[in-house]
Amino acid sequence: MKKLLLSTLLISSTLLSAQQYLTREARLDFDAGSPLEDIVAFTESGSAVYDESTGKIGVQVLMTSFQFKRALMQEHFNENYVESEKFPKASFKGSYSEGFVAGELTIHGVTKEISVPARLDQEEGNYVLITSFDITLADYDVKIPSAVANKISKTASIQVQATLKRFSK
Amino acid sequence: MGRLHYIFILSLSVLLATAQEELFDLLDEESGSTQYTYATFKGTKLLNGQTNETPGQGVLQYIISHRFGSFTDEYLYNFFGLDNAHIRMQLDYGFSDRLNVGMGRSSVLKTSDAFVKYRALRQKTGATFFPFSVTLYSSLNYRGARFTDGIDHNTTDRLSYHHQAIFARKFNESLSLILAPSIVHWNLVPGPEDPNDTYHLLIGGRYKLSKRIALTSEYAFSSNRRYGSGATEERFHNPISVGVDIETGGHVFQFHLSNTRAMSDPLWMAQNPYSAANGSLFLGFNISRVFTVNQ
Repeated sequence: MKKLLLSTLLISSTLLSAQQYLTREARLDFDAGSPLEDIVAFTESGSAVYDESTGKIGVQVLMTSFQFKRALMQEHFNENYVESEKFPKASFKGSYSEGFVAGELTIHGVTKEISVPARLDQEEGNYVLITSFDITLADYDVKIPSAVANKISKTASIQVQATLKRFSK
Repeated sequence: MGRLHYIFILSLSVLLATAQEELFDLLDEESGSTQYTYATFKGTKLLNGQTNETPGQGVLQYIISHRFGSFTDEYLYNFFGLDNAHIRMQLDYGFSDRLNVGMGRSSVLKTSDAFVKYRALRQKTGATFFPFSVTLYSSLNYRGARFTDGIDHNTTDRLSYHHQAIFARKFNESLSLILAPSIVHWNLVPGPEDPNDTYHLLIGGRYKLSKRIALTSEYAFSSNRRYGSGATEERFHNPISVGVDIETGGHVFQFHLSNTRAMSDPLWMAQNPYSAANGSLFLGFNISRVFTVNQ
């Protein structure tokens, strides 16, 4: 009986670790532009994990890794808007089921529950995550000075594209 | 048997719980990226001196500076010195994120200057670590004002140089400090016993009061302040300045109070005739505007 128990534990633990998928090269794009100002940025160094057995999914990105077309805009983004020194990362921790991801989105130190449509397809042994959604900047306490209020959109659209590969320790 | 079942279920659930925590912990594991420290200073200039910053690639920067007349001498009659201003204009361009080249023109002795600034090392954290930034800066200055000593001077007599290494560290979000050793070379000095080369050490820093406002200050030590043979009094004084930086989008406004009025490096650094201790203080400002001309 004890042997059975032990082997079950061993097998289940191997199974558990083998069912995880990971990438460090997730692409995230965001657009907070307006007709007056073109404010777009992307990064290709986001992290994403997915556990096939539980449906848990997580995405995280370093704010300083976002690249803008203009150096000054990038500096302002980090220094004045998302305050990357205080809040270096944005993350999503939740789960995927039936075309939706739901869970906690943390940006600028503020955590909100979100549920947005997403695709998570199995392709050649990998999982491909694609989602796109809008957030309201004020919800995450990102302050926009009135002087530039008409140049920056009140909402930012975010796109995530990640190919997660099977991961084992 | 029942107890065994209980233990089995318990261990499985513990295992599952651990697996969940581990899943999100994977996100935090070092991904091998390096983060460069950004915005050590708001501007490419601290007050009179340089910061480690350069405009980014493809960025054209225009700086207009004024240094007013004496703040203390009959300050109401002279409107705190604002009736009498020296001016310097600067135009510079970021050829890369590291290389910055520019030129300027100042009304003090009708000096024109050209400079090259290069970010040699950048402060960084993450996969690779470096505790401070190093920027190299070199300027060539041409005195346009006519000589009044009646001697027929060569063009080379009009030239002076300033070469500087700027060590800067952003300690935290608010505090950044600068240590910048430099050498000033004059082709022509006032007397035969005066040194052509003087050595300087600038210390300076900024402290941010809010996201867009910072206090700034700088002071420069000088190896020689007594020009002339057997001079017993200091003819020149170390520059000291305090100011405030205000950033609004593409502009940086820098207002300050200083004991210097000249704006070309060799003049304010090595041959500043004004002493703060004797009450010579001047209001001044730099305003910079950047244009992204090449994305």
